[in-house]
Amino acid sequence: MLRDSSRSRLFLAVLVVLAVVLIVLDARPGNNPVTALARGGGELVFAPTAAGVGLVTGPAARLYEGVSQGPEAAERIAELEAANDELKADLQAARLDEGRADQLDTLLHLSGLGGYEVVPAQAVTRTTAQGYAHTVTIDAGTDSGIRPEMTVVNGSGLVGRVIEAGPRTATVKLATDVNSTVGARLEKTSKIGAITGGSVPGGPEADLTLELFDMEAPIEVGDRVVTLGSHDGAPFVPGVPIGTVDEVQVAPGALSRIARITPAVDFASLDMVGVVVDGPAEDPRDSVLPPKPEPEGDQ
Amino acid sequence: MRAAATLVMVTVAVIAQATVVNRVPFEWGPGPDLVLAAVVAVALTTSPAAAAGCGFAAGLAMDVLPPAEHPMGRYALVLCLAAYVLSLLRANTGLGGSAGAGVSAWAAVGVTAVTAVGVGLGYAFVGFVMGDAHVTLAAVGVNVAVGALLTTLAAPLVTLPVLWVRSLLTESDFATIQGPTSTGGW
Repeated sequence: MLRDSSRSRLFLAVLVVLAVVLIVLDARPGNNPVTALARGGGELVFAPTAAGVGLVTGPAARLYEGVSQGPEAAERIAELEAANDELKADLQAARLDEGRADQLDTLLHLSGLGGYEVVPAQAVTRTTAQGYAHTVTIDAGTDSGIRPEMTVVNGSGLVGRVIEAGPRTATVKLATDVNSTVGARLEKTSKIGAITGGSVPGGPEADLTLELFDMEAPIEVGDRVVTLGSHDGAPFVPGVPIGTVDEVQVAPGALSRIARITPAVDFASLDMVGVVVDGPAEDPRDSVLPPKPEPEGDQ
Repeated sequence: MRAAATLVMVTVAVIAQATVVNRVPFEWGPGPDLVLAAVVAVALTTSPAAAAGCGFAAGLAMDVLPPAEHPMGRYALVLCLAAYVLSLLRANTGLGGSAGAGVSAWAAVGVTAVTAVGVGLGYAFVGFVMGDAHVTLAAVGVNVAVGALLTTLAAPLVTLPVLWVRSLLTESDFATIQGPTSTGGW
């Protein structure tokens, strides 16, 4: 029933074999010249196009953020109005860059507090093919001194780490990715643990999940978590805020304590980020964390 | 002329997917797949071998463009096979309308929806075989359903124009007429 010429079948077989060979080559650890060359070629097309698209779609992206963040209709209208006003102002006075400048300001503030040397960059893709991995592409690469296994932050805290770097773009794996694990330390008590993207088996539904290795460690809702730091600052430099404890799960018989973490960074509206190209000389401990908010608003 | 126009349209779809669609922060995971929608249109109007070549090239282009989060060749493999099967079914069973007439708009959108589901599952299957930790039952269910829905919604904007341009630029009056068995050549 499904007839086809043998030449056509041979062609299909060659393509399939080629694809499988590429997958195997690229999935192997370490750098591969064939795939690196191909990615370099792709980047030549991608980098200028993405920059152009960024210029054109800036206002539309703002509008989308306004729409997507409001779960309730009333909130959405208010946000749309706010976004609309903002857009008008942006168009009139070209304030688009001002928002970026504010984000850069907070980024500079964070890097100043921690003593990090950062290279600023902008996120140019946020969705991935078929939507499985949580990665973004940033518009800076090895030409700016960015290498794989570097920490990526923004003004609020930890974004992720660089997994692949080309000359002008780099791929960042977000902290919320299922494959991402970050060494973490609780504020003040210095109890250490690991923060995994998504949920862990037996844990609550979450963007980030903290597993504390010490069962006896005191941990409460509202405690804040910073990165522990790795050897030579790769992949993570110490002291970057990761998030706040949202819910602590006490599971009988568990080997670790599991807590749901609310990320410090708003991953839905990621824009300006900084890649830490040089870590601090000394661990900044808790100094990068912003001052705790006063509870007077609740009364 | 027809080949050149197709090349341009598929290239535009690839670049638009990589730089515009992927830029939007979809909270639920995947966005619409313009590349798949364009490849479906090409596969419905060409021989199986050419369809496989087109699917492979478009998929490989998506693999090569940033972000580099999955191994190169994964999407190329899936799109290549999908385009081949689609074209083979079209030539042998008259999928998407009788072989003599062109593909009707509704059939093209329906075929795009079915292909989107198939490609989503195939992509997940390759990840499953390779031990990708992202591939869990829940994630695959959500991503395939949402991705296929959005791709179907995008189909009238991508698949139909590509089909229309390709039928407009048909080189001979009889190019769309295929015999009951002949699918040889390119």
